Amino acid sequence: MLLNSRRLLLGLAWLAAAVPVPGQDRSATHEGRRQAMVDLIEHRGVTDSATLAAMRAVPRHEFVPADQADRAYADHPLPIGYGQTISQPYIVAYMTEILEPAPRMKVLEIGTGSGYQAAVLAEIGCDVYTVEIFGALARSARERLDRLGLHVTSRHGDGHFGWSEAAPFDAVIVTAAAGYIPPALVQQLKPGGRLVIPVGSVYGVQNLILVEKDLDGATTTRNLLPVRFVPMLSGLR
Amino acid sequence: MRQIARPLAVAFISAGSLAFELLLVRLFAIEHFYHFAYMAVGVAMLGFGVTGTVVALAGQVSHTVTLRLFLWSSGAAAAAFVLVPFAVQATSVDPTQLAWDLNQWLKLAAVYLLLALPFSLSAVTILTGLTLAAARPGYIYGASFLGSGVGAVACVVSLWFLSPVRALALPALLASFGFAVAALTVERAHRARMMALAMMGAALLTLAVSPWRLTISPYKGLPQVEAYPDAQRVAEQSSPLGWTVAVAAPAFRFAPGLSLGFNGAFPQQTALFVDGAIAGAVPEVGSDAETSAVLDWLPTSLPYSLGPAERVLIVGSAGGLEVYNALAHGATHTTAVELNPDLVALSRTGRLMSAERDGRLVWVIGDARGYVARTRQSFDVIVLPPAGSLGSATAGVYGLAEDFLHTIEAYGEYLNRLTEDGTLAITRWTSLPPRSSIRVILTAAEALRRLKPESVATGLVVARSWGTATVLVRPAGFTESEIESLRAWAAKRLFDLDWYPGLSEPAIRYNYLEEPTLFLAVDAAVRGPNSSRRFSADYAFDVAPVSDAQPYPHRFLRISSLVSLLSSDRGSWLPFAEWGQIALVATLVQSVLLAGLLMLVPAAFIRDVRSGTGWLLLVTYFGTIGMAYLAAEIAAIQQLSLLLGHPVYAVAIVLTGFLASSGVGSICSDRWAQSTTWKVCTGLTVLLVVLAFTLLSVVHMLQPIHLALRAAAGVILIVPLAFLMGAPFPMGIRSLTGRQRSGVAWAWAANGFMSVVTAPLAALMALELGSPALLLLAATAYAVAAVIGRAGQLRYLATPR
Repeated sequence: MLLNSRRLLLGLAWLAAAVPVPGQDRSATHEGRRQAMVDLIEHRGVTDSATLAAMRAVPRHEFVPADQADRAYADHPLPIGYGQTISQPYIVAYMTEILEPAPRMKVLEIGTGSGYQAAVLAEIGCDVYTVEIFGALARSARERLDRLGLHVTSRHGDGHFGWSEAAPFDAVIVTAAAGYIPPALVQQLKPGGRLVIPVGSVYGVQNLILVEKDLDGATTTRNLLPVRFVPMLSGLR
Repeated sequence: MRQIARPLAVAFISAGSLAFELLLVRLFAIEHFYHFAYMAVGVAMLGFGVTGTVVALAGQVSHTVTLRLFLWSSGAAAAAFVLVPFAVQATSVDPTQLAWDLNQWLKLAAVYLLLALPFSLSAVTILTGLTLAAARPGYIYGASFLGSGVGAVACVVSLWFLSPVRALALPALLASFGFAVAALTVERAHRARMMALAMMGAALLTLAVSPWRLTISPYKGLPQVEAYPDAQRVAEQSSPLGWTVAVAAPAFRFAPGLSLGFNGAFPQQTALFVDGAIAGAVPEVGSDAETSAVLDWLPTSLPYSLGPAERVLIVGSAGGLEVYNALAHGATHTTAVELNPDLVALSRTGRLMSAERDGRLVWVIGDARGYVARTRQSFDVIVLPPAGSLGSATAGVYGLAEDFLHTIEAYGEYLNRLTEDGTLAITRWTSLPPRSSIRVILTAAEALRRLKPESVATGLVVARSWGTATVLVRPAGFTESEIESLRAWAAKRLFDLDWYPGLSEPAIRYNYLEEPTLFLAVDAAVRGPNSSRRFSADYAFDVAPVSDAQPYPHRFLRISSLVSLLSSDRGSWLPFAEWGQIALVATLVQSVLLAGLLMLVPAAFIRDVRSGTGWLLLVTYFGTIGMAYLAAEIAAIQQLSLLLGHPVYAVAIVLTGFLASSGVGSICSDRWAQSTTWKVCTGLTVLLVVLAFTLLSVVHMLQPIHLALRAAAGVILIVPLAFLMGAPFPMGIRSLTGRQRSGVAWAWAANGFMSVVTAPLAALMALELGSPALLLLAATAYAVAAVIGRAGQLRYLATPR
């Protein structure tokens, strides 16, 4: 019995040793991990060169909490506080590609969060407007984007109403789940514009939906793939 | 005195264990998701099994030591019921991080061990009690059964008055009583008696200072809406049906499938949650115009575009949004059926109360299937809204997430209650790839075919928004002018009509899918049952209609095609689509590994075990009867919950009836000749086979009668079976009398570990094959036990020690 207990303890110690320790081998490997992450995204089918180049350039580890930095380049979402997450890198790449981004394109983002999605769009050269409901997240994202020298216009506000003063937009990207497609966002889209949004049941799995407005102003939707997001909030906090 | 005190102590300890297990099911369902409820059952059985292994390995102990073990294990169990919740709270696990955070696995393992502790200690009490009463094991085992029955009732009753976290005082209190009574079985146990009193005080204290703080997953609706600006919890109710919370948040908006063409303002709504998951929305007083405007742009308004509907039935009316919709469209007699009275109480606001007063609205608190089976009324429109049954289904009272509202039989009953030109309208969220909407289409077509075969071609319409699909079923068929009205109504709202009578090819204009799957599904259904079956068989997910025998309309993954799906390009969709079933398979694998690790591996090191086949036959006997009991109990609860129509009644009557009858059977078995063990098992085999083929038909036949009669019928159906099921374990234990004590411990371990494996196995079997198959599994297991009993092979170690 004693022998078995020792074996059990050794096993537990081995498992504990396998847990990544924050601070280990950090800066030396971020670059390599980032390239590996983008290689994986490319392998999974994202082909837009502007998107991939931007994601190779933006230091994602700067956008996650310090204790999560070692996991920044793994292909999954991470908590960033306030019950919010930074999206899975593949989803960021996928949604960016769907927008067909190009330099000087005017893009509205709803749900700044950590600021990573806005940073990727800004790196591509888009004219980015981003709205965040949580004041603390809006401030920290603002500071982070400034520190990294990325030009993004941001504000603390209610995403359900879009950004009418800056409208219309070539593209709208919503990075928080909505229970329905807010009419204001469709209205603030230019003819020929694209809106990508996770919709469906707010409290379960959502469908990533592309809303396209043709040159005559008629709208159509297209279901792309299932995703999970934090919900889009309304009002100010 | 001791003769009564010992079984009484066992009864109290068993009552505490079962109450703790049921409360864990509730707490896991609230904090995480429904699937974690299985963990509670697994943990309980694991704790029981481990005790058997440990006692077997410990070998022979003296009578005095056994007496002390009996006493102090009951005290330790009582203490564990108080302390373990504190320790679990300190070990905060985030299951959503399990996929990539090894720390979470370690924490989960710690939580498992902690939660298993009180069950293990309770098992020591029962096991030592059995050892001390070796000549009359049925007396002790029967007391354990009866105590468990009392624990089940006490738990359900306590949840009417206490929140689940405060109800945790109940198992601690029951176990403290057990400790106090156990102290009476030992002379000069003054210290134990004092400690028992202190333990009772501590248990009562946890009523005031609950050891458990609800930490709800951030991915559930409640914490998300409570994070909204100015959000305020305005009401909170607890019952065995669930923990119901109302949150007023100016920014909350609930409009399933709202048209992209809607340009109006949103009315204020109050969000309703059951067990932390969204259950509906209550439009607030004073916003009638805005509410009506929004409602008319929802897909659920589609049936009202066909003309006035005077009599409307809403199935699952949580929040009252669809009740408003019916009233707004001119219904003069609306009947709203909702199982959860707390949801109804919170929905009764201004206009709805006024509609009640002037007779336009009637609430029916109860099960919709039962209501539809009993009522003689007919309706112009019967509505099943998208979130109709979710509140009830996620309440966590059921051991399995069955839903009898979306079976072929259910749709058939709805169709039978329509007026001549009546319409059944079912709206579901469209998953990607489409699954539930396709199952609704195929189920509706099948139900229509059984009622009026010629109407399948003329009586189906499918409309789809960006996020929902609405299926209209009309046995009388749709006229051309009605189809024109529907088309115009849908086009204005940018909804596609994926199917209407006369449509020959897909006509999607607004909301594109990769393939016109819904059109193809209806086309196949209209062509005939063979074509419909071929369509289901060829589809990537299981979308075939489900029946009452296998009421899992939300299950879409074929386990057999799991590997091929994962290896396909869309394998990554699975975690989003079918997390529950994958978790269940993982639980089964984990249970098998744990059972093997904690029983078979230690046994392999025991010389006596290795020396012959006796041990193997012993554990097979007790393992199979453990499996049989759980499988039969789960199947009976599932089928009788349809009969009783109410999960609380089902749990209270079926579980308590089972445990109490088994308790009496167990006590009586002490008087039965040892040689009749195989006859009891054979009798059970025959009874279970008969029930497998007849129980569901009997349930359907009895559904329309009064609840009291149904409850009585339920008890009559259960009692003979459960009475006999109480006997094989104590009769088997009695056959070990005078032989090595570890035989009893191995018997206990085998029974416990097989139950660990059976909990997820039975759930999977019910999902894949239906509850009659579970009854047949139980019958087969008892047949195996009968063969072993007949051969007189329960003699692990022939020489008495």
